[in-house]
Order: sequence, then structure tokens, then C-alpha cells
Amino acid sequence: MDVPIYYTRAEYIETDTGNKVSRRATIAGPQNIILGGKTIISSGAIIRGDLRRTGPGHAVVISLGRYCLIGEGCVMRPPYKTYRGNFNYYPMKIGDHVHIGANTIVEAATIGNHVEIGKNCVIGKFTIIKDCAKIADNTMIPPNTVIPALSLFAGSPGRFVEDLPESTQEMVEAQTKQYYTRFQPLPSER
Amino acid sequence: MTPSIEYYCPCLAASPHPPPPHLPSSTYSFHPLHNLFFCEECDAVRCNRCVMVEVSGYYCPNCLFEVPSASVRAEKNRCARNCFHCPNCRNTLTVVPSDPPDDGDARMSPIVSSTLGEPPFFLYCNHCRWDSAEVGITFEKPTGLAAQLQKFEDSAPESLEFERLKEHFEPFLRASSSSSSALHSAAAHHVHTNPITAAASSALARDIPGVGKYNPLSRSRAGRDKHAHKNDIPDYKSRVEVASAGINAGGGEADVDFMCRLETMSEVAALEQRWVSSWVASLHSSDLKPLRIPLQSKKSKRCPSCRHILIKPEQKAQSVRYKIKLVAANYLPAISVSLPHAQAAVEMMKRSTALNKSAAATTVDEHGASAGALLAGKTYSFHLAFTNPLYDPIQVRLKKAQMMQAPGADGDKTRRPPFQVNLPSSPFPVAAFAEAWEYEDDEEVMFGLEEDEGDLDGMGRQQRDGRSKTRTLGVVEKRANVTVVGGEVILTKEARGRVKFNMLVSYTYRSDDPDGAEENVTGTPSRSHASSKAPELKNFSFYTVVDLGLIVPREESRIDPDI
Ligand SMILES: [Zn+2]
Ligand SMILES: [Zn+2]
Ligand SMILES: [Zn+2]
Ligand SMILES: [Zn+2]
Repeated sequence: MDVPIYYTRAEYIETDTGNKVSRRATIAGPQNIILGGKTIISSGAIIRGDLRRTGPGHAVVISLGRYCLIGEGCVMRPPYKTYRGNFNYYPMKIGDHVHIGANTIVEAATIGNHVEIGKNCVIGKFTIIKDCAKIADNTMIPPNTVIPALSLFAGSPGRFVEDLPESTQEMVEAQTKQYYTRFQPLPSER
Repeated sequence: MTPSIEYYCPCLAASPHPPPPHLPSSTYSFHPLHNLFFCEECDAVRCNRCVMVEVSGYYCPNCLFEVPSASVRAEKNRCARNCFHCPNCRNTLTVVPSDPPDDGDARMSPIVSSTLGEPPFFLYCNHCRWDSAEVGITFEKPTGLAAQLQKFEDSAPESLEFERLKEHFEPFLRASSSSSSALHSAAAHHVHTNPITAAASSALARDIPGVGKYNPLSRSRAGRDKHAHKNDIPDYKSRVEVASAGINAGGGEADVDFMCRLETMSEVAALEQRWVSSWVASLHSSDLKPLRIPLQSKKSKRCPSCRHILIKPEQKAQSVRYKIKLVAANYLPAISVSLPHAQAAVEMMKRSTALNKSAAATTVDEHGASAGALLAGKTYSFHLAFTNPLYDPIQVRLKKAQMMQAPGADGDKTRRPPFQVNLPSSPFPVAAFAEAWEYEDDEEVMFGLEEDEGDLDGMGRQQRDGRSKTRTLGVVEKRANVTVVGGEVILTKEARGRVKFNMLVSYTYRSDDPDGAEENVTGTPSRSHASSKAPELKNFSFYTVVDLGLIVPREESRIDPDI
């Protein structure tokens, strides 16, 4: 049943913790980015770890948990605002088992665990997405939106559509793990 | 579209058999496995359409504040903090000062913290740019806005009238709720009646002759009590004549006039913008008011038959854990369907695209779908993968449900069904679930040598094409707690529509339920296995609907003359 999703070995860098990062992805400021392990960054994705808070020292700009997927052509950009006259970027924190579909732009502040985001979405600045929520394909979430746990949002602007089933957590966990297993190099290259 | 399978919930229907799958209404009876519950007490599947739902807590979906049920009523089920929907687009509104500090980037102004800036404050939509100053709503302070707006809502003539109505019915409501609570203790479980429904239906029954009163307990004592009460209510006199009072909307000449002079569509508030309002709303989009955000609830679910709790969420609003969660996926095998010929086609595409360019994943699906089409007049094999969630092995047996007559074919009994389905006739085992097996990269494949002929339905076989030589009826693969079996579908030359059929799945499992066991088999299933006594076997059956996809007519060029 588990049809493999093949990639060419040359395209992906695999880390010790099992992260697979496409060489065709743009990872800016990698020292400010944390990947939890077994997370896939697809080709064409752009991750802006360089947009960090002003000030000295290290700062985690974008952190991703385990079993995440950043789809092809996604843009992950930390949110920014001007507070008391000072312009600043703010960190973006993403939990475990989060899948983000192709060509989606994410400027969220936090995304919980077991969250599915469809393709071609815009997740506005400082959005907070709680655990087990789902954003349908082509959804536009305006800045500062809060998306409660176990709810499905869709539309432009994204609105609550329905409650998700009680077993969402187990399902998303199984799907994201399965996706990672299916994502493998072409057999001829193994 | 990929093939799919859904599970049947009889919803307490008298007949255990599911509706025929070609009826559009049948879709309401079938659900994905993960949407179903399981009542251990009744040994039955339950779904969201039949469970009893109780609110276990309220919260605001925006500020996530958990609202105590005591304040829910006073605050009219809406958030009493600073949460508002844009009346124009339903986005969440932001409080902004009237004089945002100029930082040279206008796009950022709504993000500016509301703790700075000058009054008056107003509500601003950062999606459609609506703001409350447009409709004359501004605030001196950026806090306590909901209370200010609610005061406004509550002083509306309709709202006052409604309050008076409630007062008027109050004595009656109190009387009927006390009698109905007496009744709840007296066993009549599953009657969803509340005092308000009862009051409304009594009033309706009195005012409109011939309208049956909603009273599921008319023969009970409580029913008679209600009859006794209904005549005690004096007539209600409304404070204002709604039709003539000219309450800011309400149709009539003014609206006609407004519509006649309309210049742009956006002057009229869309139906969607108006019907969330509790009262008659103005047609003018310029009259739209910010909406306090309606609260949401966490829900407990009970079995409709025995009232046992199936779902009980944790109290905390944003927790995704449950104190009780009896879902069908923990009891019934998960089944997934696939068409090997379609999968092979998809895999070919994927392999070639991965080699060439990996950016075309979306188009692959479409190509794959056409390559894996079901052509009329051909025979295809399909695979059903069973995943066992139980800690004990199970034996599964499949049976196709009786094919129903096609709609509109009452007189034409000889009409052949558009396709014939053959399923493995002998039972097959699915190994027990074990944590260690989860997601192991275990590629070991055993090809079953199940005898695949034998009497399949006892139906006449049809001519097969060359493809069917590789077909397998029976076990195709076993790995961990998954068993894959093959079936086949034979499409007639005239076949049209979807290949959709009902399938009965029965499975036997070892029961750790001591009831009915004379030798008192207690303890875990594995322990009872160790004893020399034969374990007690139990059987559970459920119906599913399998949808293999749309049939592609044999000759695309042949066009029906009468269309
Ligand atoms: Zn049901
Ligand atoms: Zn709120
Ligand atoms: Zn708006
Ligand atoms: Zn029950």
C-alpha cells in the first residue's frame, strides 16, 4: 500500500538525525534554524533563518520539530512588527508532525503539533495555530489569526469550517511517519 | 480519484443492512473509519449522526478564554473580551488607535500594539480594510469593548422584546423543567426535549389548529402535566408593533426605494453578512456592526442506546487529549483499497519525474489517474489491505452484499448489473498489532498461496482478457499486522458509472469478555491462550462500501443518439 515517493540521491542531503534537505532549497542563515529530525525540506523551499532579531549573539529564528514536511516552493519567513518604535523580527516555532503543502507562504508565530497546512496557502504574520488543526488548500489566513485546536479552516479570509475528528492526532502522526518512510531514493541508486 | 472505502453505521436502524450504494442518500450512512466510535457495552459502531452530544466546556476561538457556563448565557454565547468578527468578511478585527505612529510603512499599522496611540480607538479589519469608524463606532479606551457593544446590542428593540417574552414564559418554563427533571430520573433516557422546545411547541399547538405538539412522551405523566400548564399562560401583548415600528430594517417601502437607487452591489449587505444577526438586519452594508465572536464548545459524546460515554475531552480548551476515547479504529480492522494497475502507472510516472525534474508532483497524479482508468468490458484486480488494531490475531471473512436492482429497473428484472465483484471466499488471518512493528522498514513479503478458485458467488464467469492471468484472488501479502488480499471486478461492455459495492466484513477474535464463559475465562487474552482451554471466540461483522472509481466507457467515440 505504501507507494514510495522517490527522489534522486544527489538532490538531498541527509543529516545524522534523518533530516532530508533538498540542495535546491534556499536555507538562509542556517545557524539560526533548528530541524528536529526526520524532517524533509523539499526543493524550491525558502527558509529565512537570516531574518533575526537585532542584537548580539545567537538567536533561533525558525525551529521545526520532528517528522515535518516543508513542501516544494514554500516560503518560511519569521513575522515582524514595529513595537515602541523598533522594527523587529520575531521567532517562528513549529511543532512535530507538521506538513506544509507546496507553494505555501508561512509567517506564523507558532504552529503546534500534528498540524496540516494545504498547498497555495498564505499564513499571515503572527498567526497562532494550535495542535491538530488543519488549513485547507488555497486558504488565506490574515495576520494575527488564532486557529484553535482540532479545527478546520478554509477560504479567504480563512474561517472555521468544522471540528476535526477526535482521532486526528493518531491519523496525522501515522501519515507523517508514513510519508517519511515512503520518501526514499530511487531504487537504482540505493 | 483514488479508490476508497467507508464504514457503515446503522444509527439504531431496525435493519442491519446498509442502503444500496448507488443511491445518493447512501453516502450519509457511510463514514471514514476514523470518524466512527465504538460502544463496548452495545458491541456496536456509532457515528456523529447518532451519538448524543453534550457540551463539556465553552471557549472563545480567538482569545481561547475558557468561559464558565454561568456567564455564557448572560454574555449571549459570544466572547465578552476584545474579540470581534469583521461584519464584511468574518476576519478577526484588531483594535487600533486613530493616530497610528508613522513608521513609514502603512501596511504595518494594524500590527502596531494598541497600548500606544491616541483615542478614539476603533476596530479595523486587516483583510478587507473595513473599520468601525465607518459605521460610527469608536471607543475612548481600547479595553472592555465587548461590554460596550453588548450594551448596544441589548438595548435594541428586538432584544428588549425578546427579554420580555422570556419573562412572560418564565413561570411556565420553571414548572415544565421541574416536571421534566423528575422524568429524567424516571428512566426515559433518550428524549431530547428541553423546556424551551416544549414551550415553543405548546404555544404553536395552541395558536395553530392542527399543528401537532412536539411531545414524545404524551402518554407519560409529564405529558399530562404539560397539558395542564399550557392553559395557565396569559396572552402576551407585544410592546411594539414590529412591522410598523420602523426598526432600522424590516423591509417595506424604504428598502424598495434603496434597491431602486442602488449604484454598486457592495451597498447591499450580502445574505451571508446578514443572517448571522439574531435580529432583522439592515439591507445596507453601511449599517453592518462588528460581531462579537460566537463561542465554541468542547463536546462529550454518548452512545445513543446505552448512554455510556464514548468521548470525554480533557477540560482544558486547547488540549487534544481525552479522558475517554472509544473510537472504532481501535476495534475494527482498518481497510485500504488500491488498484494495482493504477498504482503501477503512477509509480512509473513518479520514477521518471524524479529522474527528470522533481518539481511536477501535482501533475503526476492526473496522468496516473488516466493511466489507471477502469475501462468498460475489462477485468481488474484490486487489493484490500487489512490492518489489525487488536493485540490478538483475527480471522477475516469477506462477503459481497447482495446487488440491488438498479434504480428505475423495477420491471426489468433481467437487466444485468454493470459489474461483477469476486472476493476471496476463504477466511484469512491478520496478525496481532504489536508496538514494535510500527513503521519498521520491514520489506519482507510473503506471497500467499491461498486456493483462489472454489465457489465464488456461484455466478457465471465471463471471458477474461490476458491481464487476468496475473490476478490473485486471496492473500497477496502479509507483513506485520497487515494482510493484503486481492479481489477482482469484471466490468460488462455496457458498464457505466462508478464501481461501488457494499461488502460485509466479519472477523473472529479471541474475547477477554468473561460473560457467557462457563469456565470463567478472566484475565488478558494472552493468558487465556496459555491455558489449555480453548479460547472463547467472538465474531463481529460490519458493512463497508468500496468505491473503485469511475468506469471509462469502452468506445469514447460512440455517442448515444438521443443525447
Ligand atoms: Zn450512526
Ligand atoms: Zn475572545
Ligand atoms: Zn474584513
Ligand atoms: Zn452503547
